Amino acid sequence: MIVELLAVGLVVSACLAVYLDEAVYSVASLACAFIFLTVLYALNDAVFVAVFQLAVGAGTLAVLFLAGEMLSEKPNKEKPLRNVFLVGVLALVLAFPSIFFSVAVTPANVSSGVTFGRALWDLRAVDVILQGLVILTVVLGIAIVLHERKGA
Amino acid sequence: MDYMILSATLLAIGVYGLLTKRHLVKVLISIELIAMGASMNFVLLASSLDRALGEAFLILAFSTDTCVTAIVLALLVIAAKKYGTCDIRKLAEIAESGRGESKND
Repeated sequence: MIVELLAVGLVVSACLAVYLDEAVYSVASLACAFIFLTVLYALNDAVFVAVFQLAVGAGTLAVLFLAGEMLSEKPNKEKPLRNVFLVGVLALVLAFPSIFFSVAVTPANVSSGVTFGRALWDLRAVDVILQGLVILTVVLGIAIVLHERKGA
Repeated sequence: MDYMILSATLLAIGVYGLLTKRHLVKVLISIELIAMGASMNFVLLASSLDRALGEAFLILAFSTDTCVTAIVLALLVIAAKKYGTCDIRKLAEIAESGRGESKND
């Protein structure tokens, strides 16, 4: 039951994040969606992923809050509360197929008993190193672009 | 409870936001929702196949997602500083008018 409630909450907050005009409210809805998703991961025994999701989500949301507050113009007219309620109801309807229908086939149990640490550092070590390089490149690129803009 | 349909729903909401919203912050939020749906699929498949390997892939997907967020935010800041707006259509109009002026020159 709790998983279904989390799914409904996830879809409703995702819809509100897209629908609401004010960026701060929109980011707050996205924060709710991140929290629901983290709890869903934790309930699926993916604790490492839940922790990473929480960490990445916290960073993303902090930056989005700042950007949303700094860069967004105030909307001319507030959306009526009735419309927000209607979007919530629509999101509720959108969440129903995932609760009542199923497209998943019975999975074959092919688990090889590999631990998370071994999978990350022994099997996918090259990927991890390459991802680190990609992130470093992105950070350097953004720093250079912003520095050039500052100098221009 | 089917996570595949749930992730498809998140993907659809994200695509809708990507197609209809004009503000760059909202576009970034839509991209986040799409990434959220994709990562949920990873968790689903990880639980049905090899859990540890799927989680390892998901950690790598998170880093890519973070890179995308950083790049879009940098573009957003640059656009807001240079043109004073974050509206995609206004930015497109500015770009069009800039191209027209350069052709006239």
